[in-house]
Amino acid sequence: MAATSDTDRIIVDRIRNGDSDAWGDLISRYEGRLLAFVESRIGRRAASEDIVQEAFVGFLNSLPNFDGRRPLESYLFSICAYKLTDHMRREGRRPALPLSAGADSGGEWQLASPARAASSIVRSSEQKDLEEKALIEALREQVDRWKERGDWTKLQCNELLFVRGWANKRVAEALGISEQQVANFKFDFLARTRTLVGRQGLSEDVFPELYDE
Amino acid sequence: MAKEFTELELEAYLDEALAPGEMAAVESELRANPKLGKRLAAINGRRDAGVHTIGEIWRRHRVSCPNREQLGSYLLEALDTQQMDYYRFHIEEVGCRFCNANLHDLRMQQEEKAEITATRRTKYFQSSAGYLRSK
Repeated sequence: MAATSDTDRIIVDRIRNGDSDAWGDLISRYEGRLLAFVESRIGRRAASEDIVQEAFVGFLNSLPNFDGRRPLESYLFSICAYKLTDHMRREGRRPALPLSAGADSGGEWQLASPARAASSIVRSSEQKDLEEKALIEALREQVDRWKERGDWTKLQCNELLFVRGWANKRVAEALGISEQQVANFKFDFLARTRTLVGRQGLSEDVFPELYDE
Repeated sequence: MAKEFTELELEAYLDEALAPGEMAAVESELRANPKLGKRLAAINGRRDAGVHTIGEIWRRHRVSCPNREQLGSYLLEALDTQQMDYYRFHIEEVGCRFCNANLHDLRMQQEEKAEITATRRTKYFQSSAGYLRSK
């Protein structure tokens, strides 16, 4: 998915100026996919429509803070997910989580390596955005290249490893390739990502997967 | 036997991004097993500290998701075999919640009566237009 489209950008600009036709356009454009997203989870049409309705109001309320470069669809999905989670908590369907991991799991979360308390990594939100941007660009560069070259197995392999979190063996079985091939694809992907992210001169501590091997 | 969830599946759970059946499975296990709650709290702690994971960024920024037009072509089976296979993998095996929602919407556009859609959109508009800021 690329950045926000020109059509979305124009619609949002018009909405910022109070244009009600543009608001109607945005609703028509996105309500169906948001409704499908919510309904797939809670299964009740009326409640799902209420949640989507709340998400649209939430979007208008958050509009002054919306970064127009961010993909609009992802932003709307994230508001919808928040409203959905809230709804499910209120209904008691989504259990509340403890505030911390607790003493028997090692206390507050810490970086595995190098040994440094996570809470000591104090960075500005601009710095975090910069790190995230560097990683997004590194991932996009590789995924787009695999798609262009038709390297579908590499893409599937790394998606199962890094998005699903599957172990090498399970990925090998699912894709019908050897565990050695999985290990090679993973190594190449991490090495390239490390190179691309490394060029930005960012702290290694905040990308543990890239530097733990 | 209790189901084992990977860290990345739990991250996706926190983002409301797992497939619906898997979301329900995490919630069911969470009720039965307090240790799972602690694992989720630890993930939240790591996120609060600003540590990035590849899977989280990949999923949140939908790095490998087809766009809406490509999903339309997938529905019409108007793609080459390899692309069809990859999109099927992404939708069914990875279970991308956002692409599944788009796909369902595209199907519904062909099936749902226009009158029902129009009524729903009018309801959304009337309940939210008051929040538009006039310049």
